[in-house]
Amino acid sequence: MIDRKLRIGIVCPYSWDYPGGVQNHVRDLAEFLINNGHHVEVLAPATESDDLPSYVVSAGRAISIPYNGAVARILFGVVANSRVRSWIHEGNFDLLHLHEPAIPSLSLLACWAGEGAMVGTFHAAAKYQKAIVAIGPILEPVIEKLSARIAVSESARLTLTAHLETDAIVIPNGIYADNYRDGSPRQEWQGNTIGFLGRFEEDRKGLPVLLNALPIISRFIPDIRVLIAGPGDSEEVLENVDPQLRNRVEFLGKISEEDKADFLASVSLYIAPNTGGESFGIILAEAMAGGATVVASDIPAFADVLGNGQYGSLFESENYESLAKVVIDLLRDQAKREDLANAGATHAQRFDWSQVGEEIFEVYELAMVSGQKVSLSSENRSWTRLLGRD
Amino acid sequence: MKNIIFFAGLALLIFWYLSFSASRLDRLHHRVETSWATLDSLLQRRAAIALEVARSAITDPATSLLLTASAYQARSADIEDRSSAESVLSGALGMMLAERESIVAKSDQALLGELEQLSDKIKVAIAIHVESVTRTQLIRGKLVFRLFRLAGTAPLPVTYEFEADAI
Repeated sequence: MIDRKLRIGIVCPYSWDYPGGVQNHVRDLAEFLINNGHHVEVLAPATESDDLPSYVVSAGRAISIPYNGAVARILFGVVANSRVRSWIHEGNFDLLHLHEPAIPSLSLLACWAGEGAMVGTFHAAAKYQKAIVAIGPILEPVIEKLSARIAVSESARLTLTAHLETDAIVIPNGIYADNYRDGSPRQEWQGNTIGFLGRFEEDRKGLPVLLNALPIISRFIPDIRVLIAGPGDSEEVLENVDPQLRNRVEFLGKISEEDKADFLASVSLYIAPNTGGESFGIILAEAMAGGATVVASDIPAFADVLGNGQYGSLFESENYESLAKVVIDLLRDQAKREDLANAGATHAQRFDWSQVGEEIFEVYELAMVSGQKVSLSSENRSWTRLLGRD
Repeated sequence: MKNIIFFAGLALLIFWYLSFSASRLDRLHHRVETSWATLDSLLQRRAAIALEVARSAITDPATSLLLTASAYQARSADIEDRSSAESVLSGALGMMLAERESIVAKSDQALLGELEQLSDKIKVAIAIHVESVTRTQLIRGKLVFRLFRLAGTAPLPVTYEFEADAI
C-alpha cells in the first residue's frame, strides 16, 4: 500500500503530433495518475508547440520510417539518446513506465539507459515473424531489465511469449465509459442502420468488406442504411458501390466526441470489419459503453474484447458473406440485439479507467523497490565516463 | 603486428562481452530477490489475516481448523515447499470466500474485503516473480554463463509454481 505521491516518468515511442492508440492510452493514463495526485512526465517525440499538455516533454521531432509494414513516426539517434538520459537523470523518478519497448524508439533507449523500477507495456499483436526473433538477442538483455511487463490483450501477450520468451500480465486499455453512456438517440440515425466509425480510406479498417456485403444485405433488408463517420474522401469510395445502392450509404464526416455518443446510441448495429493490424479493440469497448450492438471481424484483438462473441457478434474476417449473414440475422432479431447491447454495456465497465488505472497502479506498487529512485544504469555510466561525455 | 592488434581487439571484445553478461545476470538475480521479497511479504500478510479470520466468529469450527492448519504450514514451509503450501492456503481461503455472503452477517466484511484485495495482488506478484525466476534460470543455463561461472556463488533461484484457479 503506497500512500505517498510518486514521481512517474512515462515514455511514449510514437509521435505525439499524430493521434493513435498508444498515444491516446498514454494520455489517458497520465491524466488518470495526475488526477490521483501523482507527478507525471511523459517523454515523447513531438513538435515543440504551445498545444502540448504541460506534462509532455518533447524529445525532438519524430522521424517517419517504414517499420513492420506501416509508416512509424518514431525517434532515436545520438541526440535523442542523450535527451532520454538527461530526462531520466534530472527527473528523479520513482518509476518509469515504458510503452512498446520492443520497437526502435525512445522507450527502448530509456530501457537501456535506466536502472531501477521499470514497467513495460506491450501493445502490438503480430503474427510470428522471423525478423523479430532475429533481433531477439539484441532486445532480450534490454527487455530483461523491466521489473514487470504488461500486455494490453491476450494476443499481445502471446506475441510477446512467442518472440521474446517472456511472460506478461494482461491489463486492457482503458476508456472513460461515462463519456459514452449518456448519448441520446437521434431520429435521423435510427431505423435499420449500420454505423461505421474511423478513417474509412484505409483498407485495413475493412469498409470494402462491408460495402461488398451491402448488395446481399439490401436484398433481405430493403431499407438498410450505412452511416459512415470519419475523415476521408467519400467520392472515391462511392465509385465502387453499385449505383442503385449509393443512396443507402451516407457520409457524416468527422464527428465530435458528443456526436459519437449519440451515434452509438442511435444505430441499430455498430460494425468494425477491420482486417487486421489492431492491437486492441478500444473502439469496440467504447461502442459497448455507448450501448451499441457490436458486430466485428474475428481478428484476435476483437475476439478478446468481445469475449469470443459473448458481448457482440463476430464474423469471419474479410468474408463479406459471413458479415452479411450476421448482420441480417441481427437486424431481424430485436431481442437478440438488445441482449447483446446490454451484456456489452455491463462488460464495458471492465475497461473503465477507474478499474484499469487501479490495476496498472497495483503493478507499479509491486515493481517498486522501497525507496530506490530510478537512476542511470551503472554500465552506461562507466562507458560515458570512459568516453569523457558526462 | 597486425595479428597482435587483431587479437588484442578480440580479447577486449570478449572481456567486454563477459563483463556485460555478468552484470546482466547480476541484475536478474537482483530482480528475483526483489520480486521474492515483495511476494513473501504479501504472503506473510495473507497468512496473518487468515489466522485472524480463523480466530474470529466469521467461520465455523471446521473451516477455522483448516485455515489455521494451512496458515501455519504456509508460514513454516521451506522455500522449496513454499508454493505448494501457499496453494493449500489459497484453496482454503477460496472455499471460505466463495461462501462469503452466507457466512458473514455484517461485521468483518472489511477484513474479508482486504483478504480479497490481497489475493488479487498476490496473483500479480506471483506472475512477476515466476517470470523473473524462469528468465534467470534460462540465462544461467546458457553455455557462456556456465563455462565462465558468471553466476559466481549465487544460488539458483527456486521455482515457484503458478497457482491454478485456486484463489
